Amino acid sequence: MSLVNIKDLSVCYGAKTVLHNISLVVNPGEGWVIRGESGSGKTTLGRTIAGSVRHSGDVTIHFNTQSPLPATTLFVESWYRFTNLEGDRNFYYQQRYNHQQRRDTVTIARELELFGKEHALNNVRLQELIATLDYTRVLDEQLFEISSGEHKKLQLIKALWLHPQLLIIDQPYTGLDVKSRGRLNELLNAYTGNGGTLILISNDTELPACVNRFAMLKDGRLSTDETAFRFEEKVLKPLPHFLKEPPQYTTQTLIHMKDIHVRYDDKQVLSNIQWQVNAGDRWLLQGHNGSGKSTLLSLITGDHPQAYANDIKLFGVQRGGGESIWDIKRRIGLISPELHWYFDANATVLQSLASGFFDSNGLYRQLRYMQKQQLDELLKFLDLYDVKNELLTTLPLGKQRLALLGRTIIKNPQLLVLDEPCQGLDQQQTQYFNKLVDEISRNGVTIIYVGHFETQLPACITHKLVLENGRSIENNRIATQSR
Amino acid sequence: MANYFNTLPLREQLNQLGVCEFMSNDEFLDGVDALKGKKIVIVGCGAQGLNQGLNLRDSGLDVSYALRKEAIEEKRASWKNATDNNFNVGTYEELIPGADLVINLTPDKQHTSVVSAVMPLMKQGATLSYSHGFNIVEEGIQIRKDLTVIMVAPKSPGSEVRAEYLRGFGVPTLIAVHPENDPEGKGLEQAKAYCVGTGGHRAGVLRSSFVAEVKSDLMGEQTILCGLLQTGSILSFDKMLEKGIDAGYASKLVQYGVEVITEALKHGGVTGMMDRLSNPAKIKAFRISEELKTIMRPLFQKHQDDIMSGEFSRIMMEDWANGDANLLKWRAETGETAFEKTPAGDVKIGDQEYFDNYTLMAAFIKAGVELAFETMVEAGIKPESAYYESLHETPLIANTIARKKLFEMNRVISDTAEYGCYLFDQACKPLLADFMKTVDTDLVGKNFNEGKDGAVDNQELVEVNEALRSHPVELVGTVLRKAMTAMKAIKTA
Repeated sequence: MSLVNIKDLSVCYGAKTVLHNISLVVNPGEGWVIRGESGSGKTTLGRTIAGSVRHSGDVTIHFNTQSPLPATTLFVESWYRFTNLEGDRNFYYQQRYNHQQRRDTVTIARELELFGKEHALNNVRLQELIATLDYTRVLDEQLFEISSGEHKKLQLIKALWLHPQLLIIDQPYTGLDVKSRGRLNELLNAYTGNGGTLILISNDTELPACVNRFAMLKDGRLSTDETAFRFEEKVLKPLPHFLKEPPQYTTQTLIHMKDIHVRYDDKQVLSNIQWQVNAGDRWLLQGHNGSGKSTLLSLITGDHPQAYANDIKLFGVQRGGGESIWDIKRRIGLISPELHWYFDANATVLQSLASGFFDSNGLYRQLRYMQKQQLDELLKFLDLYDVKNELLTTLPLGKQRLALLGRTIIKNPQLLVLDEPCQGLDQQQTQYFNKLVDEISRNGVTIIYVGHFETQLPACITHKLVLENGRSIENNRIATQSR
Repeated sequence: MANYFNTLPLREQLNQLGVCEFMSNDEFLDGVDALKGKKIVIVGCGAQGLNQGLNLRDSGLDVSYALRKEAIEEKRASWKNATDNNFNVGTYEELIPGADLVINLTPDKQHTSVVSAVMPLMKQGATLSYSHGFNIVEEGIQIRKDLTVIMVAPKSPGSEVRAEYLRGFGVPTLIAVHPENDPEGKGLEQAKAYCVGTGGHRAGVLRSSFVAEVKSDLMGEQTILCGLLQTGSILSFDKMLEKGIDAGYASKLVQYGVEVITEALKHGGVTGMMDRLSNPAKIKAFRISEELKTIMRPLFQKHQDDIMSGEFSRIMMEDWANGDANLLKWRAETGETAFEKTPAGDVKIGDQEYFDNYTLMAAFIKAGVELAFETMVEAGIKPESAYYESLHETPLIANTIARKKLFEMNRVISDTAEYGCYLFDQACKPLLADFMKTVDTDLVGKNFNEGKDGAVDNQELVEVNEALRSHPVELVGTVLRKAMTAMKAIKTA
């Protein structure tokens, strides 16, 4: 008997039809992957199977009543929200750098303990999962302190620990490095080997061996023809005029860092970093999860209080010399997974882009005529003009990222800090995004680009800094066009 | 020390009560210039102290922390807060003499001892800042004549002050200069610069006076904000139990209902809140709130009179001297109420259900907001100040009740607010005993509209709507809310 039986399923959001007459049969023990472009309806299909979307047509699930596995469906969101101890969600992305004698959220260990208690799960299994995914390091940290990749692992650990009969994972690999991806695939193989049925929503190509069934969504219609899966390469439009203007540099050395040390209590996060970034350099910053990349960047973007205790010169001015963080931010365009995660949930696409003029998280000021012109130009360039009045959070993830990239370049700053800008994007989107970065870089803007070792990179990179356990192990110019 | 307000002639009392101006953006064009390069020393490093200091430093100002010697030696939380964030920390003796601006962010009750210790160390012509005027106005502490005295009071908890600043916004802030201590006339410029340094200028700044701030703040917190929310919650819960409503459901309805209902108040004033009710429920709530206003008006007036005469602070300071005997007794009693001891049930209550099944609370809130506002304005407080201390802050306190019920709400507000809240609650409950006998479950616990056909008299509905919309708190509220359009929902902790 089939596990999932979908017949003539349609889903509408308001006047918009997101899924059209879908029929699909999933048998027990199968491993499926559902592919499709951003906005094709993948996430909606996953949520509908999990039972959380109002729909027409039939979705029936027949669990095996004889199985020892929990007769339930678990949907792992690509993007989830947690709350603090008071039930609030009022976080901001810089929060993890503010050291206070106050614990706002629970620790990872406690979160897992509560989850295990709720579902009466076996602790031995948890220890195996933690070891396999190399997760011991963060167990004592607070929920709001860990990176988005570490949050992803937390979700995966919970899902695999629960081991439901049907597991649907939306974007399983987001934020995971190569090693973790391999480990996850082994765990997923074991999951189906143990009688679980798996549906992955992903455009990644390195899938676990247990994935043997394939489906593709295009504009809300489903096809199981594997040959239909081909992404069209997106052509870049001509850059808006204002982005062709060279940025106004006031000094040759944008960043000068000497003997940088950062520690929290007994944990050394950065040691003895020396780094100089000159106008027009295009740096690649690399390192494993937890190697200190984000902390290093936060010293540059004015988001870390430890900047006052270190020898840092930004745009020619010594930190702590009476400059405000807004003077610094004015010169920088920043995008990071954490900024995205904690971004103002009430902002429209237009407001999100426009907030880049003021370096605020959400828009709180009036726009001038020229600023509005620039916004329209950029929105059209990024194909976001038609959705400019929709809430950012209602867009597919790939489009949200694009909007936030727009936010970083709207003021044509001297320095672009692109911290894993392609995390969560599929190959095609990443390619397009990197081409965009290459195109923008032609005006002479300085760039710091953070990517994992295996990610596709823009071609324009000229320098490389590699961190390992908070120390720099490579810091030099690289041959141009190395990729 | 004599009560400062009582030493003033009537003309000056009215003058100071009447300071009230919603400041426009262009008054902040000078940014932090007035404090640039000056030595700022913050006394106290709790939630307000630390977060304001982080903001001021990030705005390019020179900030350090003066702590008591024991706090440093024992490496207490305040010391750790400051040193972990790389601030310079020292004793009063080390840091105060060099300070151009000393910001006192210790709890109200410690003000006299802190200021007495700090003042002799301050250099000629420096500035002392407060976040609440009780010490100056009610305790009547005398500050050296060469010192400037200002107040900058962000109207949110410290964690919000930091969060909103880093988002590029701020929290609504009240500023004031003490007229007895502005020898060089620089007080206002410095208060404005301080306000910019914490981001407050973006979210709406009200210029007030020490006197107006204290007299309106005390009145608001004792009556509508904490007092009536407590009384209303307890009476509503007890009524539901008496009428056989499930205790878990009743507990949840009361704990979260006040937050949901005042959320409507935040966006659309009393009118917006009442408009969430069905027409028949709105008319009913209007009628009983009129009744409630008649019953409670003398109590509101007594609180305002005692605040103005200094009687309230006199008896509260007596209790301070008495080891907080009354405060602790009342606090324990609050912890023992049936509402406090009944956990919220695991039931789902929809947004609208809170209005339909808790019409009584909408009536309580309408009555309390209007009464507090009317009583303050009658006593010489300006409508804008009265609005802030009544309607504006009600949702903030309601949030704390939704988080942690009454006992914890009372713990997170100031000691002064907590004392006043109990005082009001003790007097209000017996006052409402007869009224509560007339209340049935249609007003609290069950859907008011159940079994009714929804019909209303046109004439009556028009009259009720007109009365709601033309109340003075609605007129001033509409203008102020518009001025704060960019303001977002700001949560309290």
